[in-house]
This record gives sequence, structure tokens and C-alpha cells, in this order.
Amino acid sequence: MSVVPMKRISVIALRKDRKAVLEYLQVLGAVQISFKRKEDDLFQKVDMSSRKQVFEKNAHDAEEALAILKRNVPEKKPLGAMFTGRTTLSLDEFQDVYGRREQIMHTVRKVIRLDKKQADTVSSIPKLEDQKKSLEPWMNFDLPLDLRETEKTAVFTGTLQGQYTRETLYTQIRQTAKDVEAFDCDIISSDAVQTCIFLVCEKKDREIIREALRRMNFAAPPNSGMNPSERMKQIDAEIQAAEDKLKGYQKEFEQLAAARNDIRFASDYFTARADKYGVISELLQTRRVFCLEGYVPENIADALKGKLEEKFDIAVSIKDPGKKEKVPVLLKNNAFAAPLEGVTESYSLPGKGEIDPTMVAACFYYILFGIMLSDAAYGLLLFLGTTLILLLYGKKMEPGQKKTYRMFQFCGISTTFWGFMFGSFFGDAPAVIGRTFMGNPDAGLNPFWFEPLSEPMRMLSFCFLLALIHMFVGLGVKGYIYLRDGKKMDFLYDCVFWYVLLISCIVWLLTVPSMAGMLELSTLPGWLAYPAQALALVSAIGIILTGGRESKNWFKRILKGLYALYGISGWLSDVLSYSRLLALGLATGVIATVFNSMGSMGGNTPFGIVMFIVIFTIGNVLNLAINALGAYVHTNRLTYVEFFGKFYDGGGKKFQPFTQNTKYYKVKEDF
Amino acid sequence: MSLGLFFALLGAALAGATSGVGSAMGVGIAGQAAAGVCTDNPDMFSKVLILQLLPGTQGIYGLLIAFICLSQIGIMGGGADTAMSLSTGLLYFAACLPVIIVEPISAINQGRTSVASIAMVGKREETFGKSMIFPAMVETYAILALLISILAIFGVSAL
Repeated sequence: MSVVPMKRISVIALRKDRKAVLEYLQVLGAVQISFKRKEDDLFQKVDMSSRKQVFEKNAHDAEEALAILKRNVPEKKPLGAMFTGRTTLSLDEFQDVYGRREQIMHTVRKVIRLDKKQADTVSSIPKLEDQKKSLEPWMNFDLPLDLRETEKTAVFTGTLQGQYTRETLYTQIRQTAKDVEAFDCDIISSDAVQTCIFLVCEKKDREIIREALRRMNFAAPPNSGMNPSERMKQIDAEIQAAEDKLKGYQKEFEQLAAARNDIRFASDYFTARADKYGVISELLQTRRVFCLEGYVPENIADALKGKLEEKFDIAVSIKDPGKKEKVPVLLKNNAFAAPLEGVTESYSLPGKGEIDPTMVAACFYYILFGIMLSDAAYGLLLFLGTTLILLLYGKKMEPGQKKTYRMFQFCGISTTFWGFMFGSFFGDAPAVIGRTFMGNPDAGLNPFWFEPLSEPMRMLSFCFLLALIHMFVGLGVKGYIYLRDGKKMDFLYDCVFWYVLLISCIVWLLTVPSMAGMLELSTLPGWLAYPAQALALVSAIGIILTGGRESKNWFKRILKGLYALYGISGWLSDVLSYSRLLALGLATGVIATVFNSMGSMGGNTPFGIVMFIVIFTIGNVLNLAINALGAYVHTNRLTYVEFFGKFYDGGGKKFQPFTQNTKYYKVKEDF
Repeated sequence: MSLGLFFALLGAALAGATSGVGSAMGVGIAGQAAAGVCTDNPDMFSKVLILQLLPGTQGIYGLLIAFICLSQIGIMGGGADTAMSLSTGLLYFAACLPVIIVEPISAINQGRTSVASIAMVGKREETFGKSMIFPAMVETYAILALLISILAIFGVSAL
């Protein structure tokens, strides 16, 4: 239950070691770079952004090459790939691939070039197909299409819009070319859209015929020096060639895909290198030395210092951070609470002077989740599923993902526990199976405690009790922070008064028989009402007087105090908010029951059994998915709003060490 | 047969129906936003899916009330009281009203809030934890309505 204390580290080393020191720090990933020192005459920053851009470009190219390869040679992902994180490389393996980086980038460029070629070829095929289409009406024509004249005659080959017969064609041409003595016109092909014609006339009539045809929207044919059937063969050959080319490219891609892992490495390597140059731009440097400042977790500060001093000529100093500094936050918890660090982080990391709430939150988180899902079978499934995944892939997982699975594993245990308490196993499956298929009407899982569906008020009282414990613990943490900081009076005003007020109000309410009866609790003896009322009054006055104590003006102060007292309505709504435990718990059981009874409608026949198995499986998987999601969301809500609202603001910045911010590989170097 | 059973059944049916309609609309509009985010960034699928599903719970609450009501009046599980008095039937109907009225409105508004949250996660992935809370706030009132209906139905059946 703690925020790891941070130290400030400042390093001064020789400039010739700059690359080695930074790379070493990057592999260790233990230092967050953060400068306090400003530039002066001696120490200055050096702009490295142009070199950084080169590396970024390389990394980008590598990613592009990977995308191209993925498109052309889809990769079969091994089972469980979604659970495994980055591959770990030893330093030797790293050196090996590192030595080949130029060669790898060569491959990368080859892939990108090949992709361009492929795109060109792919786009050339439709063009050829178009040509083929426009040539088809000319297939009966056995002269080159660009024939314009012979020795004595002029030749017109082309298309007219619309359909013509020989007669209509002649009539139309005659309308303009009245005086032409002789011409001969053949229709090569004709359909509703166009008519392909071949016209021969004497050379002297060329212009007048041209004019006649122009009026009929004569258009030139597809340009070709060959006759159409030859040209057609040629185009077919070209298409064939393009397709062969594509096949060749595909083969090349397949060969290049073997280098995929190398390219991944290159992408990572250049990303890391770009990051490093980003840091170099931050460094303060003189001609011979450079200086680096940052934060390092206290527990490894000395080890880091030792390692650096052993490896390099270097001056390392470790100091406490200044009082006003906003130190980055790193959480460290035991195995029970660590899975919930992600939940805390999603809300906000602890700000200055706050404690890490993960441990206290964890104590309730698992319980609340369990009550909301509250089915022993679902809990077991959740537990076994996550356990299996963790056993198979736990070692290869990224830490964050592992924590999530671990969290659901614990939630599964809690769900199983509450499922047995409330007697739910796939809803009422034992009873339904016993009744329908075993002929045993008394079958069923008896709850260890009670069944919420038949005693909802009892369940509701239990939820409210849990709500009070949860929020009182939250208020207690606030008190603990006050006491730790020596603010005893604040502890009295903001915590003790509220405890007294709330507890005395509850006692008072429970002395009223109708109230206690509704919650199915026994009524407290009536004489308790008077001291409870008195205590409530005293603490309420206390809150009115102190709730606005930051205001000097007494009028304002009382008004703010009254407003603070109004906060009791917030407590009421917060308590009611926990009724979602009942609602979600019932929802799980009832939906499972609905599916079970639907499934059992076929009765104890072979068909009925098959029907039951199908509906039971689908229904319960669906129910588990929806309700696990609901339980997760609403447990978060109760933690964030009702619980954290009592004591926790957050606002801390995450510790982000200078590290290998990579996608595929990480290099291992242990402390 | 008296009209009592009819009104009790009407309450149960409407509880299931209106909640279902509301959730369908809520999940629908949230799904459109989720699909939009996924076109830009397919990796966000699981996160936006969770946000899309949030307005789906109201439909489940409606189902819950319908089921409890049906089993209390005996239409499910057998033994329906065909001679149920009109006043008892109307009492069941009234008990279903909070769910009939609140669930659809809450689901649609939760859907709208989910749309905003999905946009938020789409822009800044790290805000997922917070983005989940905004729609969950809307659901509180759906849960309170559900609670009242549950208590009322059990109360009526104990009369």
C-alpha cells in the first residue's frame, strides 16, 4: 500500500560516453528524465531533431513495410498471441540483429518499392480490359484501324452513335454528300449504342464525306496500327504478362516475409533510437561533458548509482526531491492489491501528500464484484479461465495485462464464494436439472446463507450495511491522512463529527419500529432514541460551525457550514446507490433462471436433453458475459464515486521512465 | 376471468417492452459512435464495446421485473390466479410503473452519454476508466426505479 518514494538523480558524464550511458539507461528503464537546471553559458542544449527525424522516418518505413507484408502475406498468429506481450531479446541476440540493421532497412525499402510496382501493375490491368472492350465491336474487321488512305482512296474507320442499317446510313450520308459519285460503306457491327463503320471514297471527296460523317457524330476507333484480332491477342498477352508479374511479386513478398521479424526489430530499434535523440536534445552539454537529471525510485537508486559508476567515468548524485516538486508516481503493492493498480490509475494517481488507495480499495473491490455477479458456477468459470490463461501465458505477458487477468481471477474466487452463500449455480440449474431430468423435485442447491430472490429486503439491508462499512472506511482513510499530517482539529471536524452524526442518525432510525421492520431488522430499545438525537444534534451543530472554517466572515462561515451539513443527503444517496448490488445480483440469477426454464421446456426426452444443452450453454455464456461486464463497470463506479469520493482526489503524474518504448521486442537487463 | 390478471400481465409485459425499446435505442446510438471510432483505430474495439453495452442493462432490469411479476402472478411456473381482483391487478400494474417509465428514458440518455464517452476514449485512450463512470451515473436512477418496483411487487404479493 504505497507510493514508491522517488529520489532525484543527477548524472555528469563524458560526452564520448553519451551514447553508451543513454542506451544503458534506456535498457534499464529506471529513470524519468526531468531537468531542473536551466541552460547557461557553460551548459547548453544541442538540437538533434533533424537526426531524430531520420530515425523516425526509418521506423515509419519499417512499420509501412510490415503493413504491406501483412496485406500480401497474412501471418498465422499462434494460439494465444493476444495474451503474449513483447518478446524478450538477450543482449547477444540484440547485438546480432543490430549488426544487420542496414541490411534490414535495405529489405524494408525493397518491400516498399515492390508494393509500388505491384500497385502499378494492378492498376494497368483494368486499363487493358477497357481497351479489349472497345476493340470487341471491331473483331470482324481485318485491316489496321489506323488506315487512313490507300493509293487512290480515302478511308474512314470509326463509330457513329446509335443504330444504323445500310439503308439509313446511306440516306444520312447522302443528305450532306449529295454530289459524291461513289463511296462504299460497310457496317462492321451495330448495336443500340453505336455502329462501327468502314467507308471508302475517292480522295477528292474526302472533305465532304468527312463533313457528312461529322454531322452524324463520327468518332475515331481505338487507336491501333494492327488489325483488331491481332491487337486483341496482343492485349491478352499483356494482361497475361501483368498477371504473371503479380504472381512474381507475390512470390517475392513471400520470400521477403521471412524477414518480418527482422523488420519488427528495425521498427523497434529506430523508435528507440529516435526516443534517445529526443532525450539528447534535452541534455545539457558542454564540449566535453553532458549532464542529465531525473527521478529514480528510491529502492533502486543506490544500485543504479553503483552500476553506472562501475561501468563509466561518471559522477552520480542522488538527492531527495524538493518539498514543492511534483514527483512522478509509481505504485507498489503486494500480490493481493497489485492487480487493482490499473483501476486506481484509471481514476487518477495519488497527488501530493495522498496515500495509495489501492490496498483499501482492493479489500472491497473483490467483495463487491462477487456480490454483483454472485453465481458460483460463473465464478468458477471466471477463476478457471483466468488461471488457465495465466498458467499458459503468464510468463510472456506484459505486466499490465497480467494484472488485469489476476484481478479477474480474484474476482472469480469472490464470485464463487458469494454464489454459494446465495445458492446460485448457473442460476437454478441444479433444481431444474434435478426436476426435469432426474425426476427429483427436491433437488437444488441450498444457499449457505439465504436466497436474495426470496428475501430481497434482507439482501437490501445487507447491501446498505456494506455501503456504510465501505464509506466509513473511506472516511477513516481521510482521518488517517489528517492524523498523519498532524491536523488533529481537522480530523475532529471532518471525520469524528460525521461519524457521530451518521451513527447516531442510524441508531435513531432503528429505534423507530416501522423503519426497522421494513429493513427486516430488530428494533432497538426506544430509550436509545434520546441520546442518539442529542448526539446527532451536537455533531450537526459542530458541522455547521466548522464546515466552512476556511472563511473568516462568520456569516459566510455558517452558511457554508449549513451547506456542509446538507452533505448528509449525499450520504443517503450514496447508501442507496449500493442497492445496485441487489439489482445486479438478482439480474444474474433471474436471467440464468429464465434460460434454464426455457431450456427445460422440451421435457425429459432425447430431443429435450439436446435442446436443454444448447439453450443452457448459449444462454449462460451470454449471461456471464453481460453480467461480468456489468459487475466490472459498477464495481468501478462504487469504488470511484462512493468510495474515492470520501477521501481521494488524485492528480498525480505517472512515473514514465526513459525506456524502450517498443512494440515487439524488449532487451533484458536486470538489476 | 376478471380483468385483474390482465392488468398484472400488462404491467409485466410493458416493463419488458419499454425497457427493451429503450436499451435497443441506447445501445444503437452508442454502437454507431463505437463503429466510428473503430474505423480510425480498430484496436479500440474492446474498450468502445464495453461503453456501447452500458445502456443494455436497462433491458435486463425490465426483463427482471417482467419475470418476477410473471412468476408472482403465476403466469410463469403455473397456477395463475384467473380470479384475481381488479384492484390487485392494478396494484401489480402500479408496481411495474417505475420500471416502465424510468428504464427507457434512462437507457436512451445513457446511450447519449456513452456516445460522448466513446468520443472521449477515441481521442484519449487513457481516459477509459473515467469515461466509463459518466454513463454509469445515469444508470443509478434505472437501478433505483428497479428497486422500487421489486419492493412493490413483493409487497403487493404479500398483501
